[in-house]
Amino acid sequence: MFKDLDPILHSQLRLAVMSLLIGVKEAEFTFIKEKTGSTAGNLSVQISKLKDAGYVEVIKQFKDNYPQTICKITPAGINAFETYVKALQTYLPK
Amino acid sequence: MEQQDFSAKDSLQLIESMISKAQNRFNENGHLYLLWGWVILVCSITSFISVYFFSNYKNLMYVWMLTIPTVIYQMIYLARVKKSTAVQTYTDEINSKVWMVFVIMGFLVGIIIGRSGQPQLFNPLILALYGMPTFLSGVILKFVPLRIGAVSCWVLALVSVFIPYQFSFLLLAIAVITTWIVPGYLLRSRFKTQQG
Repeated sequence: MFKDLDPILHSQLRLAVMSLLIGVKEAEFTFIKEKTGSTAGNLSVQISKLKDAGYVEVIKQFKDNYPQTICKITPAGINAFETYVKALQTYLPK
Repeated sequence: MEQQDFSAKDSLQLIESMISKAQNRFNENGHLYLLWGWVILVCSITSFISVYFFSNYKNLMYVWMLTIPTVIYQMIYLARVKKSTAVQTYTDEINSKVWMVFVIMGFLVGIIIGRSGQPQLFNPLILALYGMPTFLSGVILKFVPLRIGAVSCWVLALVSVFIPYQFSFLLLAIAVITTWIVPGYLLRSRFKTQQG
């Protein structure tokens, strides 16, 4: 029986962001951009969608007079990620 | 990177590659190991010379005051590092907490020993305690030289209770070489290799 995949997570860039954040305490926007190889504009849009879904917390602050964006996964995000991975497993050949 | 029609296998591969990208980072450059290693080395050798050659116990505490500016420097350094680090892993967090526990325990042991009137127990206890964060850091950072250093600390702690008190400062000097200075240089070269 195939389980429905969370449409928020079933997108390459959003899934890449969530996979990065699941393993760390928090990460800067520039780090995520570098590791995912995405453009700042696209990444910003996708992180906003994850934030709206309550999966990611976005902290905006200043570092040496420059704006800095820090992202961290929320407990709801961890749950959604785990559910997504479990659902994925139903699609894999046994 | 926005298409929706990627397979379950692609998804799992993406997850796996991203997790390893985030976790294989190695943020430890050995700087604080080297700083503390050299400071404690200077303090312990000066203490040994003062106690062994001049029988001067009273001024020992002045030598160890060198640790106060070191703590201040460390606080400034850590605040700067925190600002410039693009990612904080759970490994970084646990490692820093392990050393925080050591600082608290060292402080408490200092007070307890001071009140007990048995100052000769300070070096053996600190050596034994020293091994704990060093060993755990070796496990957390997957870095064998730190674990070897920690074991050497425990051996030296045991030896220190069987020899005259003055020589325990020399054992402390050996311990900082094996637990901080040597691993510190190795950590620095591993960090530079990763950066390069």
